[in-house]
Amino acid sequence: MTHTIALSAPAIWNPARVDAVHTGERTLDQFLKSVERRALRMAELATCNRDEALDLVQDAMFGFARHYAAKPAADWAPLFYRVLDSRLNDWHRRRNVRSRWLQVWTRADDEDDERDEIAQAPDTNDPGPLLRLAGTEAAQALEAALQRLPLRQRQAFLLRVWEGFDVAATASSMRCSEGSVKTHLSRALAALRRALEDHA
Amino acid sequence: MNTNEFPGWTERARSLLDESARDLDAPALARLNRARQAALAQRAPRRRAGWLFMPAGLAGACALLLAVGVWQARRPPSVATPAAAPAQAATAKAGSGLNAGDLDMIASGDNLDMVQDLDFYAWLDAQDEDHNG
Repeated sequence: MTHTIALSAPAIWNPARVDAVHTGERTLDQFLKSVERRALRMAELATCNRDEALDLVQDAMFGFARHYAAKPAADWAPLFYRVLDSRLNDWHRRRNVRSRWLQVWTRADDEDDERDEIAQAPDTNDPGPLLRLAGTEAAQALEAALQRLPLRQRQAFLLRVWEGFDVAATASSMRCSEGSVKTHLSRALAALRRALEDHA
Repeated sequence: MNTNEFPGWTERARSLLDESARDLDAPALARLNRARQAALAQRAPRRRAGWLFMPAGLAGACALLLAVGVWQARRPPSVATPAAAPAQAATAKAGSGLNAGDLDMIASGDNLDMVQDLDFYAWLDAQDEDHNG
């Protein structure tokens, strides 16, 4: 059996245009459709796991539809990414707690095992769609570099550079000050430049 | 967005990220589609259910108000006299509408007999008044 889902490019989200037309279920569906792929990639870069990322995006869609769908359509994009950012933060918090408990147990088993930064880095053996499609060294380096970034820096980079949000919208999505966004983005750009300068 | 505010290499990073989002595989897209439909579906019934429950809640509130009104109307009016005040306070403290004298009368079999012969005692009382006066 073959999948018959069209792999067309996602629709471009234009809040001004949507405000002028019907803002009902169909509009919400259109909006979610326009952000779901990027949201999945963001979650996947954060979790390094497709299934976990899909669960997080689904949670974000549920939360957004429940709490923010009644807001003006022009505000939807920052609000959706705020919900997603919240889910990603929760996921990281849970993972950190889990890893702390695991460290306690593994330390008891092997006291000489020192913290290995390379081992702590995300698993890049699974190339993900970026590498599968592009198949280039640049794509692989970008994927790995983004996965190694701290969560807040990665979100600042993805929202500002990829999603095209301004500083205020990014700050709203990340629930932090505009100054924090600038700091996170500056650090993210510096770290990524170091990792990707050979491919720039 | 002003792309000039970012270094040149970010343009390539953006295009690579765009490619990765555009070319997601079919199972991932199917799962996203299901998630989207579920999110829309869980929103619609919730909103309609609110409208359905609103008349029921209103009717319940009206019934409660009516019950409280009837209960208040059926309560005997209490006339507070200085002498009866301590007894009423004691009754209220006990959390009951009956006072101790009523309870004693109900509990005593003799007093109930007296109530059954009330006509006789009324006649006796009238005889005493005639005799005295």
